[in-house]
Amino acid sequence: MTQTSDIDRVAMIVLRYMRRPLFALLLVYSVGIVGMALMPGQVVDGETTYMNLFHAFYFFTYTATTTGFGELPDGFSNEQRLWTIFCLYTGVIAWFYALGSLIGLVQNPHFTQAMDRFRFARKVEGNVEPFIILCGFGDTGSLLARGLSDHQKRAVILDSDPERIKALGVRDYSVSMPGLCADASAPRHLLAAGVEHPACLALAALTNDDDVNLKIAVMARHLNPRLRVICRSTSARHEANLRALENVTVVDPFEIFAQLVYWAIARPELHNLNAWFVGARGVKLGVPVKVPRGDWILCGYGRMGHWIQRCLLAHGVGVRIIDPGVDSSVAGDGTVIVQAHADHASLVTAGIDDAAGVVAATNRDSDNLSTLLSVMALNPDTFRIVRQNSHENQVAFDAARADLVLQHSLTTARRILKLLVSPLIQELIEWLEEREPAQTEALVARLQGVVGTESPHLWSVRLVADEAPAVVDYLDAGGGVALGALCRDARAFPEGLPCEVLAVRRAGQSIMLPEKTFPLDVGDELLFCSMHRVEPLLQATFHNLYTLRYVLTGVDESRGYLFAWLEERLRRRRAGHKPNGRRP
Amino acid sequence: MNFERVVFGFFIILTLSLNVAFVAGGGDRAEHHNVWILTLAIIVNLVAIGLKLGDRSQTGALLLASGLVACFLLITARIVWIVVEPADVGRPGPEGMADIVSIATGALIANIVATVILVGDTLLSRR
Repeated sequence: MTQTSDIDRVAMIVLRYMRRPLFALLLVYSVGIVGMALMPGQVVDGETTYMNLFHAFYFFTYTATTTGFGELPDGFSNEQRLWTIFCLYTGVIAWFYALGSLIGLVQNPHFTQAMDRFRFARKVEGNVEPFIILCGFGDTGSLLARGLSDHQKRAVILDSDPERIKALGVRDYSVSMPGLCADASAPRHLLAAGVEHPACLALAALTNDDDVNLKIAVMARHLNPRLRVICRSTSARHEANLRALENVTVVDPFEIFAQLVYWAIARPELHNLNAWFVGARGVKLGVPVKVPRGDWILCGYGRMGHWIQRCLLAHGVGVRIIDPGVDSSVAGDGTVIVQAHADHASLVTAGIDDAAGVVAATNRDSDNLSTLLSVMALNPDTFRIVRQNSHENQVAFDAARADLVLQHSLTTARRILKLLVSPLIQELIEWLEEREPAQTEALVARLQGVVGTESPHLWSVRLVADEAPAVVDYLDAGGGVALGALCRDARAFPEGLPCEVLAVRRAGQSIMLPEKTFPLDVGDELLFCSMHRVEPLLQATFHNLYTLRYVLTGVDESRGYLFAWLEERLRRRRAGHKPNGRRP
Repeated sequence: MNFERVVFGFFIILTLSLNVAFVAGGGDRAEHHNVWILTLAIIVNLVAIGLKLGDRSQTGALLLASGLVACFLLITARIVWIVVEPADVGRPGPEGMADIVSIATGALIANIVATVILVGDTLLSRR
């Protein structure tokens, strides 16, 4: 449906543009050819010859296109030469006119747009690999696309800003990522992007406008109710709306940011583990940030400031607020409030001397950076968390030497990537958050033992016929597979491979940090954490029945019928002789 | 060490060696090629195929396939020998001999493939 409408549009524009030049060409050709055929040629044997229509057409073709082979097939008479002059001028002018119109058509913005849409829709339609639709290619969108590309996942991108789509064109992704400059909230464009495509895994609405995101989510829900929708939203009104819809996940960048700030302050070990999982730069497992205890100064009390304050107060961390626009009644009782910009004087008023740390969380990078400078001058010992708004200011923030830089587009992109690529990790982090810090520390110690100082490789395997045929066969045949036995090293039985199973997902239920003796079942999804080189070894166990049996039992079974039969006989004979002790 | 691997490896490599022993020499000279070696190669090859029956792994399937190819070609070569052998002289002529040796050379390729797979699989399994 979308394809034909785009073809119709392209055809219509071509026809409208090329109608007149084509008519002009047709007229000039017919007059020239007919005239040439009528012109009397040279006299041969007393008879005047005429050019036939085919020769006239042949002659006109090479004359009008200024090729000019000469007088073919025979020399011309003077009448014919006169007509040739006429043909030449009119034909060449008609051709120039037609070519000019064609070039004009190619440059026509409506035509290029229609062609882009047509090509985009065809590319999406022909795609067989699973893909994700990204609506909005701003900071979050481009970071998410990069992350998806790193995981070899395809994406289809819609953005209403032509500059962003041009930026997409110069990225070097490892997979194809078609993009279209179009309003993503229009259902026509969502259809072109493949909302109804069977390979479409999810749709992420990431534009900066909450209304547009809501619209995209609602449209996508109507067009394909089974499609998973991830929607960025910062307003409570929209969130309530969206959460009521099935299959819709709401991602609030401010909430995620506040959660991370809270983890950094109150649960450093969890923050460290999370940052290590998502592969943040310069993070070492088991080396959490050391955050002092005490009251925190919060600079900036907008939407994000609200979230941070709510999050910190809920977990018993005192907050002092500096914001020029803050109303003393909104923040709650007992909170120190300074109605000013976060400069020298206001930081002193807020008690920078005895504060544990400062969170510079305004929506302007220049304000946040200048707050950092003031804090450095007043009390260099305080812990500094700073919010980075724009990806472009990366270098300035690197140089600012803050203890923790949080960029909300990056944190949002990472969260969405986790939801799309490995949802079990997010569940694990949330599960750990609800439990004692000691549990997280125990897990960190185990992971340190397994992975050491390398960066982690996380992957999940479902025990289905496609991904683990040997395990499924073994389980179907009535065998039992324990988690610890499955992860043994076939090269050094019965040692285990250096890997940890973080979670098992079975029938919608997640079992976190399963024991080594955990019995596996068909259809389970296992989340592994290890190094890159371990994955192929485990894959070999999953795919090869003999390797699997060897790691489970430690016995290298016979493969051929003959040896299996011999072995069976030998075993029976041994069993038969045991009661008697010796052969008679 | 797995006893089955020893036996199977023995037969696969023996087939290859016998095949080379048969093919080696002048292409069309009947006195350079021994019909007993060819017959022995066929038998050893059949035993190797029999040992591989029942293996459900991917490499097992590939080994079985290459064994079947080699066996098919060796048997073809043996049949050609019977057909072109004159009843009185006892040795095939140069034309028939050239055919037999080229078919056996084809079987040699299949046997080389089988040996490479066997060695590669053993090295890759790293245990």
